[in-house]
Amino acid sequence: MDAFKEMLLEELGTPTAFTIPLLGGIDVSQSVVVSWIVMAVLIVAALCLTRNLKVNNPGKVQMGLESAVQFLNGFAEANIGEHWRSFAPWLGTVALYIGFANIIGIFGFAPPTKDVSITAALAIMSMLLIYGAQFRYNGLLGGLKRFAEPMPLLVPINLMEVAIRPLALCMRLFGNVLGAFIIMEMLKFVVPVLVPAVFSIYFDLFDGLIQTVVFVFLTTQFVGEGIKAEE
Amino acid sequence: MSIAIIAAGLAVFTGIGAGIGIGVATGKASEAIARQPEASGKINSALLLGCAMAEGTAIFGFITALLIIFMG
Repeated sequence: MDAFKEMLLEELGTPTAFTIPLLGGIDVSQSVVVSWIVMAVLIVAALCLTRNLKVNNPGKVQMGLESAVQFLNGFAEANIGEHWRSFAPWLGTVALYIGFANIIGIFGFAPPTKDVSITAALAIMSMLLIYGAQFRYNGLLGGLKRFAEPMPLLVPINLMEVAIRPLALCMRLFGNVLGAFIIMEMLKFVVPVLVPAVFSIYFDLFDGLIQTVVFVFLTTQFVGEGIKAEE
Repeated sequence: MSIAIIAAGLAVFTGIGAGIGIGVATGKASEAIARQPEASGKINSALLLGCAMAEGTAIFGFITALLIIFMG
């Protein structure tokens, strides 16, 4: 039990990958390095896949890309309403990053989303997006009035939500990825052969993708709630 | 230490509530889809939202348990 707890504690911490010898040494943690790998793969994939785009006779790759973008745009339009266009690229980027970061456990890296700092950063960006949009599209007074909806009695609850929404987004992603990671480590500890591979399909692939969908979907829903016109 | 482990076990009991909540939500959603298959898209998105919320409580319990074990 103690050996196992030691191992878990080691996994929970975010080990330092290397130190930049500037300003007395800046520690770069492992999750940041894995994030850089994810970013590099996504950038290279984007550069490779978007070469030779044609208007006439598009290839199979271009057809796939177009339908993916169309799906994303349709999703944003259905949930946000008329101002969807400026949100779709951000939502797609976050979905790609979180999705890839969650399933990178399959390739033997520790998923960067099991570091609470990274999910907190994502959740704070979501919070800025939600309330930024609310004030951007309703004006200052209209944005403030949104806190008194659907009735003025709910103002304290709506104000509490400013803090609760990002906290829940952050903890949901972090807890799910960390929980899956710990269960996988336990399995590897108990049965090192074959069984972890089967469970990895559920915990790394399925759970990771579900959490990606949930994060993006909730962000979209909250943005839409803040700026949709009354029906 | 042993008392802390019991406390962590109690914290994970939030999972019961989340399990019941997600089960009820999914059951009602399948009933609704059976009744009105054409509305399945909207029902699915409402279900996903509700499940994410219900699951949040289980996650909070889980994180509390982790905090108790490793920090307490």
